Parts: sequence; C-alpha cells; structure tokens
Amino acid sequence: MSLIEIDNLSVTFRAKGRVVPAVREVSLKVEARESYGLVGESGSGKSTILRAICGLAPVSGGSIRIGGEPLPDPRGRAFSRRVQMVFQDPYSSLHPRHTLDRTLSEPLAIHGLGGADARVVQALADVGLPAKFRFRYPHQLSGGQRQRVAIARALMLEPEILLLDEPTSALDASIQAEVLNLLARLRAERGLTFLMVSHDLAVIDHMCDRVLVMQHGRAVEELAHADLAAARMTTAYARSLFDASADRMLDAAAAGARP
Amino acid sequence: MTLLSVRNLRVTFPSDTGPIQAVRGVSFDLGRERLGIVGESGSGKTMTGRAVLRLIRPPGRIEAEAMTFDGQDLLAASPAQMRALRGRRIAMVMQDPKYSLNPVMSVGDQLTEGLRRRDRLGRAEARRRAIAALEAVQIRDPDRVMDAYPHELSGGMGQRVMIAMMLIPEPDLLIADEPTSALDVTVQAEVLSILDGLVRDRGMGLIFISHDLRLVARFCDRVLVMYRGRVVEELAAGDLLAARHPYTRGLLNCLPRIGGSRAPLPVLDRSGDWADEAAP
Amino acid sequence: MTALRAWLTDPNPASRRQARLGQLWLAWLRLRRNPLAMAGLVIVAALVAVAVLAPVLAPHDPLAQDLTRRLLPPGAPGHLLGTDEFGRDILSRILHGARITLYIVALVAVTAPVLGLLVGTVAGYFGGLVDQALMRVTDIFLAFPRLILALALVAVLGPGIFNAVLAIALTAWPPYARVARAETLTVRSADYIAAVRLQGAGSARIIWGHVVPMCLPSVIIRVTLDMAGVILIAAGLGFLGLGVQPPLPEWGLMIASGRKYLFEQWWVATMPGLAIFVVSLGFNLLGDGLRDVLDPRSAGR
Repeated sequence: MSLIEIDNLSVTFRAKGRVVPAVREVSLKVEARESYGLVGESGSGKSTILRAICGLAPVSGGSIRIGGEPLPDPRGRAFSRRVQMVFQDPYSSLHPRHTLDRTLSEPLAIHGLGGADARVVQALADVGLPAKFRFRYPHQLSGGQRQRVAIARALMLEPEILLLDEPTSALDASIQAEVLNLLARLRAERGLTFLMVSHDLAVIDHMCDRVLVMQHGRAVEELAHADLAAARMTTAYARSLFDASADRMLDAAAAGARP
Repeated sequence: MTLLSVRNLRVTFPSDTGPIQAVRGVSFDLGRERLGIVGESGSGKTMTGRAVLRLIRPPGRIEAEAMTFDGQDLLAASPAQMRALRGRRIAMVMQDPKYSLNPVMSVGDQLTEGLRRRDRLGRAEARRRAIAALEAVQIRDPDRVMDAYPHELSGGMGQRVMIAMMLIPEPDLLIADEPTSALDVTVQAEVLSILDGLVRDRGMGLIFISHDLRLVARFCDRVLVMYRGRVVEELAAGDLLAARHPYTRGLLNCLPRIGGSRAPLPVLDRSGDWADEAAP
Repeated sequence: MTALRAWLTDPNPASRRQARLGQLWLAWLRLRRNPLAMAGLVIVAALVAVAVLAPVLAPHDPLAQDLTRRLLPPGAPGHLLGTDEFGRDILSRILHGARITLYIVALVAVTAPVLGLLVGTVAGYFGGLVDQALMRVTDIFLAFPRLILALALVAVLGPGIFNAVLAIALTAWPPYARVARAETLTVRSADYIAAVRLQGAGSARIIWGHVVPMCLPSVIIRVTLDMAGVILIAAGLGFLGLGVQPPLPEWGLMIASGRKYLFEQWWVATMPGLAIFVVSLGFNLLGDGLRDVLDPRSAGR
C-alpha cells in the first residue's frame, strides 16, 4: 500500500457559468519516504493536485487516499498532523501582521500542544535561522528567510508528508540552492515524504525519485529519476520540456563556445 | 561603433536611514551587439536598464560622468528629447506583458497608435505595417490577434505582441528586462529565438537583463555580472563557464543540473573579499 | 530616552510586546512626519484633555443661571465667550459639552465598528448564503438616511443620551461591514489563510486571529473619518430635542437654543458650532493621516 494514492482525480472549477477542467483523470502513487515530482508548465494542473489534496480545490471525480484511508471532508485536525504544505510565494504565505513567533506557535495552539517556547526556538534553529529573529515580522526578512519560516511552520506539527508548491521559484538561484539543500536535509533527517511541484525540470531532477510530467491537466508521462537523467523519455512533450530546460541551454552554449 | 556609452552610472534613492545606492558606478559600452546584464534581485540590473532611458522616478536620482547614445548626451537631454528617443530609437520590453499592454484597447489599436500618430500613416498602411510586425514575431494568425484584447492572449502571445510593438519603430537599441521570466520554458525558448533573429537581422543593439545566467550565456555576446549595484565581472558569453570571479562561479555552481550529483548544492559564499569590497 | 528608542527600534525584539511596540513606534514616526495629521491629533488630544479637566478649566458652573446677566456678548467681563439666554457661561458649557461629545464618540467608536467588523468578516469569509443574508440586512440599514433612521430609533426608544448613542451606533455599523467584507474578500484567498486552515484552525480562529487584523486598519481609518459625522448626528439629535436633554450642555442642543437669537445674539449658536467644526476637522485630519500610516498597501515599505 502506498502512502499517497490518487486515482483518476479530476478537478473542475466553475466560475461565472464557465466550466474549467484543471485536472483530468490523473492517477499517481507515492510511497512512504519517497520524493515525487510533478512537473509541467503553467495551467498544467500540477499545483491544483496539491490543493485538491489539502481540500482547497473542488474534486469532481476520482479519489485521494492517504495511508489507504479516504480523506474526510473537511480535512480535519488528524489530516493536518500528517500533511502540510509549503507555498510558492513566501511574500504571501506568511501573515504580514504576525511575528514569526506567532506564525510558528499558531499550529501548536490549534492542536493544544505545549512547550511552544522551546519548540519555536528549536524550529528556527532547524531551518537555519538565528533565534533572535523570533519576534520579527515577515517584512523584516528576505525572501529566502521567509521561505525558511514557511518550511519551519509546515514542520511544526511533525507531518510525514510535505507538499511543496514551487518552493523556490520566487527565489534567486543562490537562495534556491540553500532552500533545496535545507529541504533535502530535513527529508533525510525526518524521513519525510515529498510531493513537489515545479516548472523547473532541473530542480525536480535534483530533488525527486520519480517525476510525473503533466500538460493541460493530464498526466503525460511518469519517469524514474534515472530515466530522466539519461533522457529516456517516450513522449514528445516530455522530450520538448527536457530540451527547453534552461540547464540544457548552458550545455548547448558550452558546446557552441568550444567546438 | 559604440551605440551607447555609460561611465560611472549611479542611481540613488533617499530613505529613512540615508541614501541607498541601487547602482554604484557602472560603466559599459555597447555596440550593435547583445549585452547581457545578470545578477540577483537587488543587484541593480533593472535600475541600470531604466536609468539609460531616464525612467527612474523621483526622488530617485541618476548621476553619471557620461551617458551618451549615438553621440547624444542622455544626461543633458530635455524631457521632450528623451520622449523622442524612447520607443523610437531605444525601446524597452518588460517582464510581464499583462502590465505593459493597455487592457481596454485592442492589440491592433495599440500597435497602430504610434504609427498613425507619430508617423502620420493612413489606417490601411498602419494596419499593414502592424500585421507585418506580428508576422515578424511568428504569430500565425495576425488578423485575429489584431482584433483581440490583451486578456484574450496567452502569456507567450502577449510577450510577442509587446516585442512586435517595440520593434515597429525600428529602434537602434532594445532593452529587454527579464522578457521571458513570466513565460513557460518551451515558450521561453521560442520568444528568445524570435528576439535573437530580429536583433541579428536588423543589426540592433540589445541589453538583455536577466537573473538567469544560463539563459544569458546562450543568448548574448557579452555578459556583465552585477552584485549590489556594481559590475563584478565582464566577460564574453562563451567564456562564462571559465569565469574567474567567485561570485559568478558561485552563481553558476549553485544551479541544479539534470543528471547532476544529488549531493547538496554548492552554496554561494558571500564571505570573500569581493563581497566586502562590494558592500556599501 | 535614547535607551528607550534603541529598545523600540531593536531589529531583534526579545518579546511579542517589544515587537508590537516597535511597530507602533515606527507608525508614530510616520504619523509625525505628516503635519496635518499631527494638527488633527493635537485637536483630538485637546478634546480629551478638556473633557477630563472641564471642572478645573471652566470658570463657571455650566448649569448656573443668572437672568441678570443673560445674552452678554463675547468679551464681557468674566464671560469670555458670552452668555446664553439664561445667563449661563457659554465657555463653561462648551468645555463641559466636550465630555458629552467625547462620551458619545467613544461609545459609538467601541460599538459600531465591532459590530460592522463582525458582520463584514463573517459575510466575506463564509460567502454564499451567509454573505447574501448578512449583506442584504446591511443594505436595508444603508437604504435609510442615517439621521432619519436614528430619529426613528430614538422615537421608539425615547430621548436621552444613551438612547442617542445606541441609535447612532445602530445606524453607523453598515459602512464598516462593507469595508470589512471587501477587505476580507481580498484576504480570504491569500496563502497565509490557506496555510492556517491547513493547520486545522477553525473558522472563528481564522476570522478573529487572521482576517480581522488585516481589516482593522481600513476600519480604524473609516471610524476616525466618520467621527465627524457621528458628532454631527449627535448634535442633530440634540438640536431636534431627541438626544441629550436640557439643561445638559450638549453642543447641538446649545445651537438649537441659540437659534432664536441667531440674528441679534449670534454667539449663542455660533460658539458651540465652532466647537463642533474644530473637533470634526480634527478627527478628519487625523483620519487622513492614519490612512497613510495604517494602509496595508503602504505598510512594510
């Protein structure tokens, strides 16, 4: 039994009489302690899958099971202790009028967990932020530091599954490296399961064991890490995504510069 | 031949804690070539591009020893002279077409507006020229796009329209500020190759501003690497992989590669002498 | 003083309290740079001071009548602003009237916005039927001119200062509900709300702890700007004899009693009118300044 099982999931948004299918009959399985990537371009429905798991998007068909159990609706507190999410934009995912201390201790208060002081300090240390940042507001932090706080918040309840929605796409390359390293370390230390969304194939390749390529809400191709690295994809779309990946461009430039 | 020459450019903004220098002494010369400016956010790359067009809003200030475009002193130019330069001789493409196109005007009206007003062309002639421009950016059904409104276009299509609009007056210099960052990778490649072809065919100068070292390396002749308002290294794009400056090397190395090692990525070390020198 | 300032501007506060006070300090610095807002603040502070110190400041008993000295013009010995038709000192009445004005303003300020915030955030957060129902109720209240509605309420409840406050509060909340709902709609879909919902927070916690703090600045600005209107309505009710009852020195009531002498003894109605004007202006200036300080779109820059 896989930890996350998604069967024929469809998500349809209805707004002002228009029906927009965002995800169409996508199935995937993520094993415990695996890191699974969803890659695709904007509008491919990759982020919508994460939101559907969290109950933030309307599921119109199919099923989502975590640990073999179908998810209750609304998701409930037991769910939030198993699954947490890191959002794309660290500038909008932290409450602008709450100090880091409030942001990090909120989940503990919701679940009635004690020892907030020690846990908040520990959480800051775990994501590599100095303890003196504890009572700062988000606008007193850089983008990379904010994303570290967002990761710390997601880990406050010690979930086993972390949903990562483009966690580094709003960050500079050098900061992206730091955040990716942090995520990789936390996963190794805590045995976390990742379901990670990105438009950047190189990031997915670096972080994930298996990848699902998506386009227009449909699953196009699933690739194991070794197949992706060796460019053994079978569909034309996955191939074009691979070829357009920015880090391929550097190789092309290098090849051009040194024939 | 030098098209644009910038000497010791400084852009300063006042703040509560004293003036903040966004650009601190940047110098470069540009011929009819493709110059890349790369750096992280806050490195001053966008401000450099805007300063060339004097598009820094007060209270921001632009200072330079010299800033000349095709023999004309940009620092001494009157606002009217600057307006005549902008768009017609120096054009700028911004990151997100959504914010650069007028949402309540059809694409065709926006494309022909300048032609009809500035060049006093007739309706039919202006439309013909606009359609030719859309074809030049490889839009397959220019007639449909002409009648469309910006919200009916995809991001890639919108950015192509922007590029077409900028290229209609046949400028000598195009400043492109992250022109493809809001686009998907496959679309990105297309837009870049269109831009590349146009610059090549028309012999324009291009300043390509981007945070993406890999993109710039593929696309430009020469690269300026900026850090905290200064140029830390200038090199030919082909030599980028052989960059010597620790900052440039750090930026290159910290990117994950497909099929690369899964060991922790090397992190940019900002503790070297170069970082201290650059510190304000 | 410098130690206190260093403590307030410490980039690494050691407690929530220090962090919050530090933010307040920064807001105060921004407010201080706006001379008009500071003028407004001075006027409002003066109102508070006068209200507190009225018995000390007032040269006469505001209720003491002296028919031999009635309708004296301003500048008469012992009566700086003159006397009214019963020979009561106008200055003393205005000073004591500040207490009543402040009482009304304060009571309205703590009731109407709270009700409006509650209705607006709940409607905005839940949407759908709840939103429809609450906002239609709001619309019904908005459909009546405020003074007319207040009049109707007072007519039912009976005249008196407390009923006047109640009537004003009941007519004042709908705009706050509107403002709060609009703000909630933009906040509702933010990632930080999704994040806290994902942590298992209930609706009450989300609305109170996460949505309300985002709506509060716009509501506070709106309240400050509305205070002038509240003073005017209170004065209007007093003028019509439906608010504060004589002989209490309420400004609107004073204008009403001076109406009869408007052409010969202009000061009887004009002096309380000036007081209303100055205090309303003060609240308006302060509200404009607070907009610059508290507006979420300018914060964090």
